[in-house]
Amino acid sequence: MRARFFRGVPWLAILVLAAVLACAAGGEAILPHDPNDLDLGSAFLPPAWLDGGSLSSPLGADNLGRDILSRIMAGSRVSVIVAFYAILFSGGIGALAGMVCGYFGGRVDAALMRLIEIQQSIPAIALALILAAALEPGLTTVVVVIVLTYWAWYARIIRGEIMALKGRDYIAFARVAGVSTPVIFLRHLLPNIFNTLVVLATLQVGQVILFEASLSFLGLGIQQPDISWGLMLSDARQYITNAWWAITMPGIAIMLTCLSANVFGDWLRDRLDPQLRQL
Amino acid sequence: MLLSVRNLQTHLHLRRGVLRAVDGVSLDVAEGETLGLVGESGSGKTMTGLSLLRLLPKGSGRIAGGSISLDGRELTTLSESELVREIRGRRIAMIMQDPMTSLNPVFSIGDQVGNPLRNHDIARGTAVRAAVVDVLRRVRLPSPADRLDDHPHQFSGGQRQRIVAAMAIGCTPRLLIADEPTTALDVTIQVQIIGLLRQIQADTGAGIILITHDLGVAASLCHRIAVMYAGQIVETGPVRRIYRQPAHPYTRALLEAIPRLGAKRGRLAAIQGQPPSLIDPPTGCRFAPRCALRMDKCAEAPPEITLADGHRAACWKLADA
Amino acid sequence: MLELDGLTRHYRTRHGVVRAVENVSLTLRAGGTLALVGESGCGKTTIAKMILQLEQPDAGTIRFEGADVAHMDRAALHRYRRDVMAVFQDPYASLNPRMRVANIIAEPILAHEKPGRAALDKRIAEVLDIVGLPVSAARLYPHEFSGGQRQRIAIARALALQPRLMVLDEPVSALDVSIRAQVLNLLQDIQDQFGLTYLIIAHDLALVEHFSSDVAVIYLGRVAEAGPTAEVFAGPRHPYTQALLAAVPLPDPDHVLSEAAAAGEIASALNPPPGCRFNPRCPRAQDICRTTVPELRGTPHAAACHLVSEPPRT
Repeated sequence: MRARFFRGVPWLAILVLAAVLACAAGGEAILPHDPNDLDLGSAFLPPAWLDGGSLSSPLGADNLGRDILSRIMAGSRVSVIVAFYAILFSGGIGALAGMVCGYFGGRVDAALMRLIEIQQSIPAIALALILAAALEPGLTTVVVVIVLTYWAWYARIIRGEIMALKGRDYIAFARVAGVSTPVIFLRHLLPNIFNTLVVLATLQVGQVILFEASLSFLGLGIQQPDISWGLMLSDARQYITNAWWAITMPGIAIMLTCLSANVFGDWLRDRLDPQLRQL
Repeated sequence: MLLSVRNLQTHLHLRRGVLRAVDGVSLDVAEGETLGLVGESGSGKTMTGLSLLRLLPKGSGRIAGGSISLDGRELTTLSESELVREIRGRRIAMIMQDPMTSLNPVFSIGDQVGNPLRNHDIARGTAVRAAVVDVLRRVRLPSPADRLDDHPHQFSGGQRQRIVAAMAIGCTPRLLIADEPTTALDVTIQVQIIGLLRQIQADTGAGIILITHDLGVAASLCHRIAVMYAGQIVETGPVRRIYRQPAHPYTRALLEAIPRLGAKRGRLAAIQGQPPSLIDPPTGCRFAPRCALRMDKCAEAPPEITLADGHRAACWKLADA
Repeated sequence: MLELDGLTRHYRTRHGVVRAVENVSLTLRAGGTLALVGESGCGKTTIAKMILQLEQPDAGTIRFEGADVAHMDRAALHRYRRDVMAVFQDPYASLNPRMRVANIIAEPILAHEKPGRAALDKRIAEVLDIVGLPVSAARLYPHEFSGGQRQRIAIARALALQPRLMVLDEPVSALDVSIRAQVLNLLQDIQDQFGLTYLIIAHDLALVEHFSSDVAVIYLGRVAEAGPTAEVFAGPRHPYTQALLAAVPLPDPDHVLSEAAAAGEIASALNPPPGCRFNPRCPRAQDICRTTVPELRGTPHAAACHLVSEPPRT
């Protein structure tokens, strides 16, 4: 049983994700350089394997001579924090809404479903622009935008699951026996949608990281002097002809992290919940 | 003899081990005869039926031994393509329990009943439609010509089972395997389908193997009965012998365990315990652990005793008598 | 003990109104077993769901020991839920696969009482013993049991609070023939031991005759015939009951089945025929049967048929 569970484990993806987490958790202590340390002398320093590169900055430096490796490592922190809060809140709100809609049905369900349909037809970028104007661009705004965009996705899927579960005879028995509704939610519904939630959350990691990068790239997200991968892309954009590495390295970091999260999520989905294949 | 099966062994290769679903089954079906294959779930009755058509679960199922001969022709050595071309749906057809899974919801019933006719060259081109109407009339579907373009969901459960029967008898097969054909139906509809199967047999002279767990349905339809338990036939004989003078303790226990309409209310004689696993079946008599008449000898495989013409049972108790 | 009076339930669907249950009045005697018999879609399960308060009737009342269930306050309804339990058909769907047997059986107890750990374990062991399972079963999960054993667990769970009424929805039809008798005997023993009242839903008429004291034959949402089981089975009055009994294949090769007693198909509850709902299939239908709904007449053995005159009382 155990051996079968671990068959086909995507070790490489797990390694990448672990590295990202370690960078985020390590903080300043593990960085080779201060990521905000300006050193105009080494501006546009190429990566170590190119002519003129230096091993002290293996991935090179940007227009202001800041060490790219250190900045990528520091930027992982924002990605991880955004992913954590965004998934926690969108998953939590979405699951709760989905459970309530699916279980009680009727008017609550109809009203919430309309809200979800409206929400899903608003472009996320427009929402971000409005919110960034209303609030202040920054980490909180990024999280709020992502939560507002994604909770409906959870709510729809969980609602479907709950509607199928509700018809099970063991839930009918619990109602017949006078078991209270909160207990039915905790004992019968929540454990049965737990796998689905884990799978959905894992699959969302990649999307959240990309979303944060896009918002920051557009200047609607993380602001200087904080560091984020999207912001790094934005900074390096104008120097793409003379220092391609300044934009490519954070791009590769985003791509590797998202790819790993998706590969891991796919594997987890197949392991835990083969019925969700269509997601 | 229309169909002769000798010492059939069908194995299912599962992760947990080899499941001997059918373990040494021998049976005969004559033309125009209905043999009832009676048993509980997991007794191997369905697997026996599927083995005749080699329609076993892909990957895991395998016929491991024995012979199957239809009109003197050995089927176990035929290739898959010969089987498809000459046997399946042509000489041996099958009616399954749930008409909804036997019918494809996206095609009209005219298409679906016509397909076997086209595939086996029974009818071609424009003649197919007329042939389909004819076969639907034979299964007594009301106004068949008007309903050829209707889809399965537009019919009731009983009508669907008639359509499935029409698909089966279109090519006038020699042998019809009916696997729980009435189990999904209500009792007033069930009696109609029982009548239909009888009529099909009278019209075509086909042999029928009726696979069922319902001793009432088997009694009303069969000429002979074979009782299966744990992958083996424990008793076989003419229907009256089986119901009036059951010899094997399992057959007797089964007949006593069911409530009977019109019989006095009392306690049912339950069979204790449950059937054995067929991955690691008990040696000797497989019913012995649940048998009230168990003896030391039952640890060895029981001999098959002939009690009367065509009535045989495998039990040590009978050997001693 | 339980009285249903004029119970009606309609479902609104895209295709129109499904008249699932129409004006059903029945009485359950304390300590008796009432069987609801009928073909699929006849409304027997809907009646059970209304008794179990999983659904609300559109009209009519359900009275439990004189009290109208619809007008019960919270506390009274909670007591009702303690007194009325259920066993469902499919033992694979009725037990939560993620819960241990001990927690499954404890669930109804904890919904009504706060026993200590030791007292709870003792109660669980007791009911497991009653249904013939070892105490060690408490630590296992449902998938470790066979169908028959799972049904025993479902019975233990329903029994844990010592209810007064148990609704048995096809309790053995998912089980194998050799296991059915075990479970039926168990249910009968429990009834004798605890003086339970049963409402059983079944389609197997032989089982109903064997198991029930009273029977109600339902056709397309209406009661066709009702009365003491022995009387109804010995002298069925409604043509539908007669057709049902004639259509049951007996384990007797010389029994002749009658196909003629109920021709055609069961009509849809979406568009039931006017008058007596059985009239399109009835071999004896008259003009009045096609226009006027027959009343249920006779006591205790009643039939809803224009062709049956009330028999002289003897």
